[in-house]
Amino acid sequence: MFEQYSKNIAAIAVGAALGALGRYGINLFVDSSFPLGTVIENLTGSLVLGFLTAFFLVKIPKEWLKAGLGVGLCGGFTTMSTFAADTVMLLTDSLLKATLYICISSFGGVLLALGGYTIGNRIAASMVEVESK
Amino acid sequence: MNSLLLATGAAVGAVFRYILGLIFMNKFPSPPFPVAMLTVNLIGSFGLGAFYGIAYHGFPTDAYQDTLYLAVGLGFFGAFTTFSTFSMETIQLYQAKKWGSLTTYVSLSIIGSVLLFSAALWLFN
Repeated sequence: MFEQYSKNIAAIAVGAALGALGRYGINLFVDSSFPLGTVIENLTGSLVLGFLTAFFLVKIPKEWLKAGLGVGLCGGFTTMSTFAADTVMLLTDSLLKATLYICISSFGGVLLALGGYTIGNRIAASMVEVESK
Repeated sequence: MNSLLLATGAAVGAVFRYILGLIFMNKFPSPPFPVAMLTVNLIGSFGLGAFYGIAYHGFPTDAYQDTLYLAVGLGFFGAFTTFSTFSMETIQLYQAKKWGSLTTYVSLSIIGSVLLFSAALWLFN
């Protein structure tokens, strides 16, 4: 059943491996009591996925490339399970910090995805315009 | 070695997410809101809580030196669940002006993940 998807699956595996290694690297680098690393990863990952989604609507790529970058790289770089664990960890310490963490992650992630989408849309449109001249 | 196990865990987690997404798309071609990634994120958060409970009886200490944590916690469950798709799907509901679905999706994703993680941590501790 999944044979037609084998190329996508390979690209997703590679993308997710790279994404998770990047997440690990940032977590090691940004070692603080507040889970700042996860915030950075979830926000930038949302920005990049927003950009790619809009860009690929205009400049249609190979299916495996889209899957590898979106499902694999962005998906593997960002995480909901660690977000949940971080929130519960913060709740045992301070309600304010936990609330702040939830708000920054959710509103920030959605706003940055929208920002990325808008930028991706503009860049792809301007590229199409240049090509048509 | 740690990096290799982390990368493998993440690759397997993301491929699981993709395959579950395909199965959901096949079964529910036009759901009222993005039920596939919601389910994946809820299962993954529950799974991470269960893993913490079983392996550490709470939160792991010195997690970044712990091979099992890197492979299963950061790698597998980290990559199985996703935040970027959550953000993007919320934007798509916003663009479609589906306010009810948007509110349901965001609340269930955020509150649901936190609650299911806690429930699993408590259950398996």
